[in-house]
Amino acid sequence: MTTYVALLDGGKREETVKVTRHGTGHYQVEIGGRVHQVDAFRHDHGTVSLLVDAQSYSVQLDRRQAEVKVHVRGNQYPLEILDERRLRMRRAAGKFTLEGKQTLTSPMPGKVVKVLARVGDAVKEGQGVVVIEAMKMENEMKSPKDGKVVELHVVEGQAVDGGARLAAIE
Amino acid sequence: MNVRRPIRKVLVANRGEIAVRVMRTCREMGIQTVAVYSDADRGSLHVRFADEAVRIGPSPSRESYLVIDRIIGAAKATDADAVHPGYGFLSEKPDFARALEAENIAFIGPRAESMDAMGVKTTARKNMQAAGVPTVPGSAAAIPDEKEAKAFADEMGYPVMIKAAAGGGGKGMKKCERGEDFGAMWQSARREAGGAFGDDRLYVERFLDKPRHVEIQVFADEHGNCVHLGERECSVQRRQQKVIEESPSCILDEDMRTSMGEVAVRAARAVNYRGAGTVEFLVDAKRNFYFLEMNTRLQVEHPVTELVSGLDLVRMQILVARGEELHLAQDQVVRRGHAIEARVYAEDPARGFMPSPGRISYLRVPSGPGVRDDSGVYTGWVVPQFYDPMISKLLAWAPTREQAIERLRRALGEYTVHGISVNLHYLERVLDHPAFRSGEYDTGFCAKYANDLIVKPDPQYQGVALIAAAVVAFERDHDEAEAFNARARAAHASRSSWQLVGRARALRARSTARVRGIR
Repeated sequence: MTTYVALLDGGKREETVKVTRHGTGHYQVEIGGRVHQVDAFRHDHGTVSLLVDAQSYSVQLDRRQAEVKVHVRGNQYPLEILDERRLRMRRAAGKFTLEGKQTLTSPMPGKVVKVLARVGDAVKEGQGVVVIEAMKMENEMKSPKDGKVVELHVVEGQAVDGGARLAAIE
Repeated sequence: MNVRRPIRKVLVANRGEIAVRVMRTCREMGIQTVAVYSDADRGSLHVRFADEAVRIGPSPSRESYLVIDRIIGAAKATDADAVHPGYGFLSEKPDFARALEAENIAFIGPRAESMDAMGVKTTARKNMQAAGVPTVPGSAAAIPDEKEAKAFADEMGYPVMIKAAAGGGGKGMKKCERGEDFGAMWQSARREAGGAFGDDRLYVERFLDKPRHVEIQVFADEHGNCVHLGERECSVQRRQQKVIEESPSCILDEDMRTSMGEVAVRAARAVNYRGAGTVEFLVDAKRNFYFLEMNTRLQVEHPVTELVSGLDLVRMQILVARGEELHLAQDQVVRRGHAIEARVYAEDPARGFMPSPGRISYLRVPSGPGVRDDSGVYTGWVVPQFYDPMISKLLAWAPTREQAIERLRRALGEYTVHGISVNLHYLERVLDHPAFRSGEYDTGFCAKYANDLIVKPDPQYQGVALIAAAVVAFERDHDEAEAFNARARAAHASRSSWQLVGRARALRARSTARVRGIR
């Protein structure tokens, strides 16, 4: 048996899932005290046909780095799935806190069209700090918390990659 | 007179889905195709699809798809007889049509003068009023002075719309509710218009309550024939971007369709129109309709009309550009069933519709009865950050509106795009919404129901999602371990016995040597 922990809602909720393999594609899965008999058939890229207690689901898993977006019957569940070892590492890294210095990064490649704050400016949570243009649209990158701009890494007109550091708020 | 210009090779001055769409018809007609591409688009589907392809510059469209000289250079280098502009980019630039004409290359679109007549909103309004086409009540021309404009608005009554004469795409457009706000809004609209169009002239229009956006497709040849192909209802819009289009519109009856169609044809004739064009109207709550603007090109949503009419609008455009006659009388235009289009955008509705460029790691497109997918992407393609986020248009046709909605809903469920975020679930919510189902919706739909349209995942299937993720993780972890063991065994087995013996001897010899050394 292997125990996994799923992080939901960006890490705010956890669910424990216990998986035991009984044969090729046949599993017993326990969630929240309930036990399910599961028959899993993996199709092409990211698609899994699941028979859960005889109900049939075609599930798609779209993996992005650590996160996986699971699509079931028109619903999308973004989650992270970790075994016990990875969970311990994750906890040690202590990622889910808004305490201290927060780095604002660009979620996509684009061009900086406006810098709305200067180093030393006080900003509120949700206030725009940098405007990035991508795909003909302008997108405000907002401060994750109330605080002060302590670093600014970009200037107007600059091209940025996805994940590039834009600013830091403390 | 049937003036014929042979068209044997068409250069498509566009990219993505529309370039592929145009080339498909060219292929069916036995016409050679030329693609143009920027650096970011070297691997784009339209380049693969074309017979020839020419690089026209760096990724930003200002340095590639919008440079007239580059396009003309490519057309001359490949000996293309005609250029299809698609939509956006240079499609509504009269200078582009003129430059092609000077090189004796056919422009698959209207005459430059028709584009001049419709390009500036205030000029277009004047032309339409002269032709007896109803326009939204408002100032006859741009008003230079703020005080004069306010006096006009006061007299007409609030709310009013302040609009840019050179406008488009919602830039320089402000809704003013009260006289007290007029000054500030006028100034702000002026700044925006100046920045966006290099032209800060403004005019004032009455604000229509609960307006619907209904447009009429028209088609004209060079021989005096001009017909309309019915309407498209495009009121589901977000930030002036259309999201869903359908035909027929729920608010049109046959009489209203006929009178709007006639007005649209009159508008097209008034500017000596040629080819495919769209006359956009606003329809108010009392079903009065007013001219909004004319799009002098093929529209994004043209397949909606193709599905209900059975016509190929790109083929018709090419025939007209050849100088042929349409041979389609108004009473021969057939309209059958119901068609709906949903625009698939690379954006994340859950995060404020943030654009989502990037690599498509997996793509599976819907099919089955009555489904059409006009796409410009493929598995492995990196959707560039430089252009429009639309990656595909998904359409459904069925005998009735209800069936067409259910069919599109079903097809959206089959659509799988991995690696980037797309708005598929948002589109499903729109189709499910009671206001959309009832047909009682206007251009305020997306804003009014914004909260309904972004719904959190149903907790009912969360367990299934967890099971799937855990089982796949289990298989991955165990397969990895097994693959590791298998490789180790394979590596062992692949060495011949002689090698193994040799290696064992060498090791033994070395260890003996070391032992001796110490001694």
